[in-house]
Amino acid sequence: MKKDVMVVDDDATVLKTVKKILEFAGLRVTTVESGEQCIQAVEAGFEGLILMDVMMPGLDGWDTIQTLVDKGFVQGNIICMLTGKETPDERMNTLKEYILDYIRKPFDNQNLVQLVKEYLSYL
Amino acid sequence: MNKRNIVIIGSSAGGPHILGQIFQGMPRLRTSLILIQHMPRFINHSLCDHLGAETEMTVKLADNKEMLESGVMYVAPSEIHIKLALNERIVLEHGDKVNYVCPSIDVAMMSLRPDPHVQFIGVILSGMGRDGARGISHIKKLGGTTIAQDKESSVIFGMPDEAIQTGDVDWILNPSQIRDKLIAAVGWDRKKYL
Repeated sequence: MKKDVMVVDDDATVLKTVKKILEFAGLRVTTVESGEQCIQAVEAGFEGLILMDVMMPGLDGWDTIQTLVDKGFVQGNIICMLTGKETPDERMNTLKEYILDYIRKPFDNQNLVQLVKEYLSYL
Repeated sequence: MNKRNIVIIGSSAGGPHILGQIFQGMPRLRTSLILIQHMPRFINHSLCDHLGAETEMTVKLADNKEMLESGVMYVAPSEIHIKLALNERIVLEHGDKVNYVCPSIDVAMMSLRPDPHVQFIGVILSGMGRDGARGISHIKKLGGTTIAQDKESSVIFGMPDEAIQTGDVDWILNPSQIRDKLIAAVGWDRKKYL
């Protein structure tokens, strides 16, 4: 099973918390603070599960996923939203084939680990 | 004469985990089951493997022109629409996205034809948008049974809600109840290879 997870969020506290939880569960975690950095990391060869925030300055989560799709970088990467946004906006409609799950913050630690491991096992 | 059963399940965001809950330990249902899960193509086989490990049904990626068999779950491959010809044969057909997706749940469900010898069941699980709502109404018009996942257990309630808003949903259920309803509606075989 692949163990690589990338957390994309502009909130440093979220990045630190999620990294700690997932690393404690034995996973390898990359954290990036923006959509642009996420795209760079994928271009540099990252493959695994991407936990994507929605609301970020610059490229937001939807823009970032759209760019990954346009560049053909979705292959080999499972994308789940990890967001405080209760209801997704209409922009998710055009991207839903690429988004496997929509996890809301705050999350239950155990539930997050379970879902992340489950989706990593698809790779 | 016993009726043949055809179940079509439509699922989107959050679906793979929910499907795991519905099919965990599921016996070999006496139905042909078509699953449309919105997903990237590269995980098509992984989803089949995961669901195949949960249920005694045979789980496979649907092939063009294959005849439906009972006890088999046909997972729709990504990037191509899936239809049924004469309620008997799978047709995979390239086409534009419908409801922003390909395959579309509506396209699959709308391909069903009236047949007094077939019991139809349509299920709409968690997901964004309104794919499946027209299909559910069509199945209801055919005299079938229609099910939508409830709000509490849905990751995103959009698709089930749109189906419910049509007024054509018979049952609003959580995954455990959907599982029980499917078993009760179509029956099951005790052994995997009968």
